[in-house]
Amino acid sequence: MEQFDAIVIGAGHNGLTAAAVLAGKGKRVLVLERSTSLGGMMATGTLNGVQLPRLAHLLYNLNPVVVRDLGLKLDAKPVPTVALSEDGRHVVMDGAEVRFADGTAHPDAAAFVTLYQRLVRFGTLLGQLAQAAPPDLSGSLSLAQAGELGALARLGLRLRLMGKAEMREFLRIVLSNAQDLILDELADGPLAGALAADAVRGAWAGPSAPGTVFSLIYRLAQGGGAALPSGGMDAVVSAFVKAAEARGATIRTGAAVQRIVVEGDRVTGVELADGSRVSSAMVLSTAGAAQSMMLAGHGSYDIEAVRRLRNFRTKGTAAKVNLVLSGAPKFSGLSREQASGRLLIARSVRAVERAFNPVKYGEASKAPVIEAVVPTLTVPDASGKHVVSAVVQYVPYAPDGGWTDTARQTVIDQVVAALDRFAPGLAAMVTASELLTPADIESETGAPGGHWHHGEMSFDQLLSVRPANGLAHYGFGPAGLYLAGAAAHPGGDVTGAPGRNAALKALKEMAA
Amino acid sequence: MGRHDRYDAIIAGAGHNGLTTACYLAKAGLKVLVVEKNDWIGGAAVSRSLHPGWTYSNCSYVCSLLRREIVRDLELPRFGLQVIPYEGGATFTSDGDYFAYYSDHDALRREIARHEPRDVDAYDRFSQTVMRQCRFIRPFLLRTAPDPVRMRPRDISELAYLVRKVHGLGAREIGETLRFWTMSIGDFLDEHFENDLIKAHLAGSGIIGTGLGVYSPGSAYVLLHHYMGDVDGTIGAWGFARGGMGSISRALGLAFEEAGGTIVTGSGIDKFLTRGGKVTGVALENGDTYEAPVVASNMDVKRTFLKHTDRDDLPGDFLRAVERFKIRGSSGKLNIALDRLPEFPAAPAGAPFLRGDMHCSTSLAELERAYDDWKDGRWSQSPYFDMLIPSQIDPTMAPPGSHMMTVFVQYAPYDLEVDGVRDAANWTEERRRAFADCVLDKMSAACPDIKERVQHVEIRSPLELETEVGLTEGNIFQGELTFDQLLFNRPVPGYADYRSPIRGLYLVGSSAHPGGGVMAAPGANAAREILIDLGRRSGLPAEAA
Ligand SMILES: Cc1cc2nc3c(=O)[nH]c(=O)nc-3n(C[C@H](O)[C@H](O)[C@H](O)COP(=O)(O)OP(=O)(O)OC[C@H]3O[C@@H](n4cnc5c(N)ncnc54)[C@H](O)[C@@H]3O)c2cc1C
Ligand SMILES: Cc1cc2nc3c(=O)[nH]c(=O)nc-3n(C[C@H](O)[C@H](O)[C@H](O)COP(=O)(O)OP(=O)(O)OC[C@H]3O[C@@H](n4cnc5c(N)ncnc54)[C@H](O)[C@@H]3O)c2cc1C
Repeated sequence: MEQFDAIVIGAGHNGLTAAAVLAGKGKRVLVLERSTSLGGMMATGTLNGVQLPRLAHLLYNLNPVVVRDLGLKLDAKPVPTVALSEDGRHVVMDGAEVRFADGTAHPDAAAFVTLYQRLVRFGTLLGQLAQAAPPDLSGSLSLAQAGELGALARLGLRLRLMGKAEMREFLRIVLSNAQDLILDELADGPLAGALAADAVRGAWAGPSAPGTVFSLIYRLAQGGGAALPSGGMDAVVSAFVKAAEARGATIRTGAAVQRIVVEGDRVTGVELADGSRVSSAMVLSTAGAAQSMMLAGHGSYDIEAVRRLRNFRTKGTAAKVNLVLSGAPKFSGLSREQASGRLLIARSVRAVERAFNPVKYGEASKAPVIEAVVPTLTVPDASGKHVVSAVVQYVPYAPDGGWTDTARQTVIDQVVAALDRFAPGLAAMVTASELLTPADIESETGAPGGHWHHGEMSFDQLLSVRPANGLAHYGFGPAGLYLAGAAAHPGGDVTGAPGRNAALKALKEMAA
Repeated sequence: MGRHDRYDAIIAGAGHNGLTTACYLAKAGLKVLVVEKNDWIGGAAVSRSLHPGWTYSNCSYVCSLLRREIVRDLELPRFGLQVIPYEGGATFTSDGDYFAYYSDHDALRREIARHEPRDVDAYDRFSQTVMRQCRFIRPFLLRTAPDPVRMRPRDISELAYLVRKVHGLGAREIGETLRFWTMSIGDFLDEHFENDLIKAHLAGSGIIGTGLGVYSPGSAYVLLHHYMGDVDGTIGAWGFARGGMGSISRALGLAFEEAGGTIVTGSGIDKFLTRGGKVTGVALENGDTYEAPVVASNMDVKRTFLKHTDRDDLPGDFLRAVERFKIRGSSGKLNIALDRLPEFPAAPAGAPFLRGDMHCSTSLAELERAYDDWKDGRWSQSPYFDMLIPSQIDPTMAPPGSHMMTVFVQYAPYDLEVDGVRDAANWTEERRRAFADCVLDKMSAACPDIKERVQHVEIRSPLELETEVGLTEGNIFQGELTFDQLLFNRPVPGYADYRSPIRGLYLVGSSAHPGGGVMAAPGANAAREILIDLGRRSGLPAEAA
């Protein structure tokens, strides 16, 4: 039987990060990926012969420590965010600048910048929590164990260093809702709507839900803004793959793990779908939380853990619509540079909230919130064709009546119509389209519920209780098994943080 | 120029919290005046007779949160307070069935099993968790929240108390507590139960009075505000105050007067008077002025500082914080005089739950939709309501053979939207009627003859609650119970110790920690802080040494 020091399940970016970290410490690592492609939810695909990002299309949260440790060479260009407005007065957010697309001043610019920079400061602060395992609540109050609560203590100290007023503001807003926070400072409209959309992207929540300020801050941990990698997401996937392989990790695709082999209370290896086995005393899984538990077998968990993982909420609400266009779309009122940025259709905070309502009852939003990118405006496709990559919210996992062809076409038509309003003629240029519903995303990538973060990022599923109380420190049931994907702390987005943290934890424990 | 008198302390507003503060101060030997704008006392804890022969608990209607320590300290039973527990409740379905809640454990288990056998044990787990959380939170109700930013010695000692309490829970329970405090009541119930009707029955307590839906994070915590009380030591039990909720205020008023205090009603405070950053007294709308070095406002934080205080006396960031304090009205109420008991065809004759709290919302989705309506500026088209007929237990509320019914309704917006415009002025008489009809129509599912039974109905919209009780936007808790407004954040960060930027001016109503409900805790806590500043002792728990 083949034997490795460590097996990583899944070649999403977190699996690849974990593999690189482990291999970098001299471990013999095998990465097993079910799919034939690499990158998981970051993988690229083709539609009508044109390459496009199947799901993830932008970088905004890649952890700098991961970039450093893995030596990732990425050329990612920050792009402006454009909040599209029905009245044609689009708002462009570029770094710390906010203006109308025609260059005129936005009345809320100053208020926005103050708010945004404060959130970025808080984000940076919390970002430091993301670089380590979540605080261990079992730490005793004795000084001997203070290290356990060190992360929290350091956070508290950094908070204090920000000054009293900032600390008060942090403690006030950290658990509150994005709608109030935003509308306390800004008039409702596309600018406010854009911020609200960022707070709930991928979430089963509207901006009025308490906790959405935290998800907004989470997203701003790396300074805010979005970057479009030159070479597309494919270049990002390659960079992660290269990092793992350069350190000696072996990656196998088309290799679905069907069982994590547990003997006694220890992991001894995995069994693949074809029945073959590979042995290893260390297994890191980037599959979903409940899925990983299933692979190891319920028997390896106490009944409370089983119950808790079963209750881990993973209702995906973000779908993806990809379009191939015969030519370049022309967005009225936007320069080419602006149009190649991140385009948001989120009319107002209230419109985002209203878009959320139907999904609660198994219906898709009639006026969805859209984050669209036309990557081919930045990196032209050889064919001269263009691509629109659009994240669409809110779309249910299982609509009433199921995902019939009509139901699917309705979502695509709505997105095309919404874009066409801002880029007249776009609809007529569509030569191919695809919709990936949360259900499709689940079946394609294994992400439970098709959820962006492999599980809701609400406070009761974060930090020391992510994915579940008692299972939050990467160690996942039987000795030698670790959870290393987005379901683990700090959560999803292309960050690399869960993979890195889990690998470090595994190294530490296996050395002991 | 009208009357002009001097006191040691003036209380602005005779809500139950203001009266509680007043009692403690008077008992400590101060010369205390209570000024109330209405012709009656009690604020939202009031009983009034609006239809001859019937008495309504016009606002709050059931009692449990009132702190036992305070009842005992102020000897309220001696002043006529009597709380009679009621038992059970039910949610009626539209097809002639119901889920009944019995306080008898075996009966409850049988009833749950009738609907969903798997939920029988789930209920025990649910109630154990809730009780554990209640036991955890109860000691904090009569303590002043620490200020984690300022860290004075007292803040450090209060924080240490908090850390000890939390730590005492043990790692596993800390995790569960964190989750409970931040999750939604819907998710919490989904984790425990299978049956939608049972979930809907239990979910109401998580949304009453709030601008949250059953799936809004933080609504599980609100549940505690309905479980952490007790009647005669039975935690989680509720009761009727004999004679209506006004008898609580009445007892407090009598205790206060016996301790030498004075109450003047019928003219509101126009302005808190200040000199050099210190409060000096109050000026009334009728022209009277009273002087005192201590003034305690029972009004909510917005009303206190934005309506009756000179803006120039307050720092800008404080004003800003008060302005953004969230105090959304979300509830309405019907008080109904019935000629006789309505029929509940689904209920077996003499069913005990008819004397408890009754509802007609049968699923979490229905409750969530009710919330969506409110968010969009409509009253819920299929509202949640909590209806009780207290006259079955307390015959003083209605003439013999007749009955009084109280129907608390969630959700009703303050700024009703009509033709795209959100404005409280949209609550016209006609729309108030339409709101009441919407509720009565839905009630007909449980008691089809309800409309024939109605002799008189008092319709309360959030606008009315604001106008009469002074609750800004009609928010029943004097401010949302979300984390950004709890503990050291309540009412605004840095001022959670009942004090204000104006020396001598205190906040003693539900806008302060621990928040709304007929609890008397804010009033008592504030009295303790006032007496500390005056160098006296209150004898209240958690008194800083
Ligand atoms: C529509 C959509 C758009 C998004 N856009 C962005 C974006 O623009 N920017 C951003 O930062 N984030 C984005 N995200 C989120 C982000 O893509 C994910 O949070 C992140 O990629 C998760 O990475 P991961 O490595 O933890 O898991 P995944 O990428 O899901 O990787 C897990 C891997 O494990 C494999 N696997 C599962 N089970 C097995 C098994 N039994 N055996 C072998 N292999 C298995 C899967 O095939 C998969 O490759 C988006 C998400 C969605 C849904
Ligand atoms: C419809 C409704 C139903 C409720 N149901 C329940 C329930 O069943 N059980 C429960 O425990 N809680 C219930 N509550 C909540 C509870 O009643 C309140 O939170 C609590 O009574 C508030 O008490 P308070 O003393 O803090 O303030 P209030 O009762 O608001 O008292 C404020 C007082 O100040 C007076 N005032 C205002 N302005 C001025 C002025 N300018 N000058 C002088 N005086 C002024 C007011 O008239 C009032 O008397 C309910 C509330 C409402 C509105």
